[in-house]
Amino acid sequence: MLEPILFTLFSIIAIVFAFNVIFRRNAVHCALHLVGVLLSLSGMFVLLNAPFIAAIQILIYAGAIMVLFLFVVMLLNVKGDAALLTPGGWKGFGFFFALIMFVELLYVVLSQGGTEGTPAQTIALPPGFGSPAEIGRILYSTWLFPFEVTSILLLIAVIGAVVLAKRKFA
Amino acid sequence: MPAWTVPLEAYQLVAALLFTIGLIGVLVRRSALIIFMSIELMLNAVNLSFVTFSKQHAQMDGQIFVFFVMSVAAAEVAVGLAILVSIFRSRETANVDEVHLLKG
Repeated sequence: MLEPILFTLFSIIAIVFAFNVIFRRNAVHCALHLVGVLLSLSGMFVLLNAPFIAAIQILIYAGAIMVLFLFVVMLLNVKGDAALLTPGGWKGFGFFFALIMFVELLYVVLSQGGTEGTPAQTIALPPGFGSPAEIGRILYSTWLFPFEVTSILLLIAVIGAVVLAKRKFA
Repeated sequence: MPAWTVPLEAYQLVAALLFTIGLIGVLVRRSALIIFMSIELMLNAVNLSFVTFSKQHAQMDGQIFVFFVMSVAAAEVAVGLAILVSIFRSRETANVDEVHLLKG
């Protein structure tokens, strides 16, 4: 009974705020609306039996990444007087291309063509589904190697960011 | 009384819509900062899709993928914003239409 209400609420918030992200002029407003989108997506993750993902969505995205965004927005202090959208025919091309993409996605979601091997919707979830313990068990057994590769990726990203943002290239 | 639930296709529709909005942002905005935010929007739409499929198949691999997508997104944002700061320092603009040194 509660799930449809919450789902409608979260999806409307997410979509309205997403439009605000891409059509606001002030970059700080865009960033704050993006936080709203991330929080409502986190609520949807809870509805989808993924409480741990919802928690790290708030911690990492709405916490760490958005703070980085806001920091750079305020550091650069970009003037908002330039034209908002890219000029001329490219804008129309962008909207047209996005429309084609959306129609394709709608077709994929609504058609029953690609659902071989997909179980019926009322499949029973195993106990502990989405809990931190289960996530940790899978992450450190099946997905151990990708997890270690991720640590190297983050190390490279940290070094790259420091080198790129240095005041003078050596 | 039957349990009144949301079909999982509805979540996929929201994910598709959010992805399209992010795509519009990448294609039509001129500010590199907003383009980065739109990329985050698209990554989040895909995350929602992954979690939905994870529930549909009753397997947690989709949630693990969200974990990896988040770490890649964090790396991408760190490097991308560093590039943006570097460009802004040398060209005094964050407008992608004005950064065309390689265009000849």
